[in-house]
Amino acid sequence: MGGAYLIGEALLLGLASGPACVASCGPVVVPSLLAEGAGWRVNGRYLTSFLGARLLGYVLFAAAAWELGALASPGPGARTLIYGGIHVLLGLALLWYAYSVGRGCAHTCAGSGLVSIGRVGKHGVPGAAVLGLLTGISLCPPFVAAGVRAAELGSLAAAILFFGVFFVATTMWFVPFVGLGCVRRNESVIFVARAAMSIVAVYYLLAGIAMLAGRKIHG
Amino acid sequence: MGDAGCTVYPGKAQPRGWGKALLLTLPIALWSLFMSMRGLMQPQRAMQIASGVTAAFMIVLFYLMMKTASTYRWRRWFFVALGVLFPIGFIHNVMVLRGSMGIPIEEMIAGRTPFCFLPIPLLILPAALTKTLVFPGSILPGEGMAGGGMAMMVGLWLAITLVVGKGWCSYACFFGGIEEGMAALPKKAQWKKLDPRYRLVPWAVLLAMVLLSLALFEPAYCMWLCPFKAVSEYVAARNTVGLVQNGIFVVLFGALVIVLPLLTKKRTQCTFLCPFGAFQSIFNKTSVFDIKIDRTVCSPCVLCQKSCPTMSLSDESIKKGETLLSCMKCGACVDACPKGAAVWHIKGTPVSVKPERARLMFLYAAWATAGMFGGSIITQGLETILQRVI
Repeated sequence: MGGAYLIGEALLLGLASGPACVASCGPVVVPSLLAEGAGWRVNGRYLTSFLGARLLGYVLFAAAAWELGALASPGPGARTLIYGGIHVLLGLALLWYAYSVGRGCAHTCAGSGLVSIGRVGKHGVPGAAVLGLLTGISLCPPFVAAGVRAAELGSLAAAILFFGVFFVATTMWFVPFVGLGCVRRNESVIFVARAAMSIVAVYYLLAGIAMLAGRKIHG
Repeated sequence: MGDAGCTVYPGKAQPRGWGKALLLTLPIALWSLFMSMRGLMQPQRAMQIASGVTAAFMIVLFYLMMKTASTYRWRRWFFVALGVLFPIGFIHNVMVLRGSMGIPIEEMIAGRTPFCFLPIPLLILPAALTKTLVFPGSILPGEGMAGGGMAMMVGLWLAITLVVGKGWCSYACFFGGIEEGMAALPKKAQWKKLDPRYRLVPWAVLLAMVLLSLALFEPAYCMWLCPFKAVSEYVAARNTVGLVQNGIFVVLFGALVIVLPLLTKKRTQCTFLCPFGAFQSIFNKTSVFDIKIDRTVCSPCVLCQKSCPTMSLSDESIKKGETLLSCMKCGACVDACPKGAAVWHIKGTPVSVKPERARLMFLYAAWATAGMFGGSIITQGLETILQRVI
């Protein structure tokens, strides 16, 4: 009964806050997805990689939230620092991604057909996974709400279950992005996607540095 | 004897007699006077003079368009006047109302920001998903300075846009005039080789700004990238970030509106940055008016390509006999073409069949818009100056 109630609560929270998640991740997902190849399969692989890494971020955060209890609701100062740090990392990852799209081997190194932005041993790291992980641990409002709830639960398993179900519910809202596979890719589309990624990256870097410096992000 | 230099090409519009030109100007003259009526009936002498001068200015320019059969050079006088006088009237009003050009974030949240059309594409997704406008203000009546008026302005913009398409950027935009004026100053361009890929940057800015506006729930372009903040109202700089924002505005204005137009003779802000322009390009598909290149007459000398202020003609597009989607219908290419191959055109009709009729129909719609939007702004700017003089 308690488990079903918990799952229902996580599901509702995820479904209700899904649009906010999509809005929050949109500046990262849409341009990077457009910079990948065309077709449902490539875009499906991108989203699988992105969402898988995002789930990993959620689970890691859920474990930390439960272990540390109060981490999910850190004070304003600590939250700004975490948020600022993630912004800076996201900005750098996006810039790297935009640069990597232009390299000749970008679509083959990763092996999965996705743009690779780094190498671990012999394997390329899909940029989608890096972006998914970073957006997964970003402290957006729905995520903080889920984190606070997870921290109140009685066991680590329950916290992870809560975050897992929350993730599945928010993921529903990402499915329509597969439709971007229909957009025909040519040099112009790739150029626009890369330039848009760079602009978003510069914003994240500016905002992140401002937050790390303890400044407001508005004048 | 010497007739080769006087060859008359059938597609090239010929100058008219003054009587016919006057007759064709009559509808616009009536419209301009109607638009100025309110100002002419005001008790303030400065306003009466400003309204009268504006009406005369619009009528004379249209008459010259009819008389000489050329569009671009006369339109440019209007457009530059609009671009220069807009900041004068606007800054004066802002100073009177607020005492400063700097707008604090609280004022923005309270909706005390005048309407601007540039954020329109940024409003669509947040409004569709949450029924909330991220631009300061509301579409509901009585909700502050940008309240019900904003719904009316968006409605007017849409109606005009469906007819003239991206012609909005040449006849109604009150920002593009300064750079067009700057581009007109040098005799020759210093920088002639511009990478055509950069024409795509406005689409990237549009994509990034639409997504960021949805994520941040604020008009990201107005907060971070609009060069015209430098000559309208900027973010009140109360901390380092505010200074950075204003620094971006000033650098972009200096580079894209002043320096690059002088070097390239192009409208560089419109060509390489403006996200609204990219968005407006889409409506060139709905507009019935476009510009075509008659391939049967075209040499090609590429004079049209060189004259285009927004790089909206490429070798490929000329071969296809059309302009790119970014064409602002300013008429520069039509005027520049010595053979009359570049012609105004109504979709669905054969190319080069009565192109002057297509030009007239477009100009009536575009100049009526110019008189309605630009006319009131020119009047306001002139009145501000006259108040100091009289």
